[in-house]
Amino acid sequence: MLGGVSATLLISIFSFFLGLAIGLVLAFMKAYGSKPTQILIDVFEKIFRGIPELVLMLLFYFGIGFGLGYQFPNPFRNAFFTVTFVLGLRSAANQSQIFKGAIRGLGEEQMVVARSLGLSRLQSVIHVMIPQVFIFSAPGLGSEYALLVKDSSYAFIIGVVEMMAITDWIRKGTGDTVTPYLLAAFLYIILTFPIATWLDTWGSRRKKQLGL
Amino acid sequence: MGEQKKEAIGAVAIKMADIVMECKNLWKTYGKITAVKDVSLKIQECDIKLIFGPSGSGKSTFLRCLAMLTSPTKGDVFLKGECLTKEGIDLNKARARIGFVFQHIWLFHHLTALGNVELALRRVLKLPKKEVKERAMQALRDVKMEEWAHHYPAQLSGGQQQRVGIARALTRCPDIILLDEPTSALDPELTGEVIDTLRDLAKKGTTMLIVSHEMPFAREVADEMIFFDEGTIVEIGPPELFFTNPQSERAKKFMARLIKKTRRE
Repeated sequence: MLGGVSATLLISIFSFFLGLAIGLVLAFMKAYGSKPTQILIDVFEKIFRGIPELVLMLLFYFGIGFGLGYQFPNPFRNAFFTVTFVLGLRSAANQSQIFKGAIRGLGEEQMVVARSLGLSRLQSVIHVMIPQVFIFSAPGLGSEYALLVKDSSYAFIIGVVEMMAITDWIRKGTGDTVTPYLLAAFLYIILTFPIATWLDTWGSRRKKQLGL
Repeated sequence: MGEQKKEAIGAVAIKMADIVMECKNLWKTYGKITAVKDVSLKIQECDIKLIFGPSGSGKSTFLRCLAMLTSPTKGDVFLKGECLTKEGIDLNKARARIGFVFQHIWLFHHLTALGNVELALRRVLKLPKKEVKERAMQALRDVKMEEWAHHYPAQLSGGQQQRVGIARALTRCPDIILLDEPTSALDPELTGEVIDTLRDLAKKGTTMLIVSHEMPFAREVADEMIFFDEGTIVEIGPPELFFTNPQSERAKKFMARLIKKTRRE
């Protein structure tokens, strides 16, 4: 079971940070980029938010991973990679929305002031916008993380040995159809709740402290 | 011009004729609206010029054009002879040499007073850590805020915040400081401390262009006052002229209203 927990955690954490990195870039490109860039990002978001992650996973794993086979070094033959990749991009689309809201909430002023000091646009984003955007986004990021932990359970369908896969083995092995699922449910709560709550309270506390 | 200020200026009298900032035939339009209309102005070293005029007359936009925070539609801006409006100039470098103090202050919420002042020293001038701290503390000392260095903006009063705002604009030793109504967002009782800070700067011979309606202060420190209306300079002259005998009808009316309002307060 513990091996399953670590696989679940790894998928969640990797896809969370993949989503964070891409999501931040997308949000700022959308806020300050040209019209075509904004439209392109919009399309990306629509695709990854609109299509169920299960469909995406099967599409990438069977469609690209097996459909295209070994014509090139094909990372999508690896189920763990495929799951993390799909959840990461889906999370990027979600996190981009979260960050965009925070950028809007923060307003233009902080950026104008930063530029007035002689900071470049990138420096202003890194040193002035991002630290504050994180504070605004913390509660949203908490629920996004919880979402990833939960959605990582789809991985068992394409054969990743994570919590759900092991739960299923135990059910098959013991014939017990209740306890393994209750145990899994309990573990999912443990994995999601503390981090989501911590991010939420940290965000509200910082917000209050800084008068945001 | 005050006695003390004359003394301060005496030390740099040779440089007096140097023009720090200049704009020629500056225009700024937003669609059909003209915010700034054909404004030309020269500011010499140690000069203190004060812009005043009705709200919505384009004073703030004019100041922002000078600082290249918004690009002028037409016309040129020069900083120490260097044209900022021509193509291919490094505007970040130019902006680093212009201090700007905002009406609504806008400190960085997530940084302490010290952090606010340090940011440009560290990221723009890229000074070593020790020097950053020293210069930032000195700037806070100059505005009498060193005791509050480690407080966040939310923990400071409006007046204290604006003093930090001034320190933040000052630390890089800019060629000129542009102040956009630095006291108008503050309660009357907090205005005094900011005015005192500006008075100190004036004594040190800081080159400043201030948008303000603090008339007693203007009379005391300004070398020249500029009456701005409908996006352009209507009248320009020494403070005494405005207080005794403004030439234009519009300035006359505006001064009368201002003086009446100041008396009421």
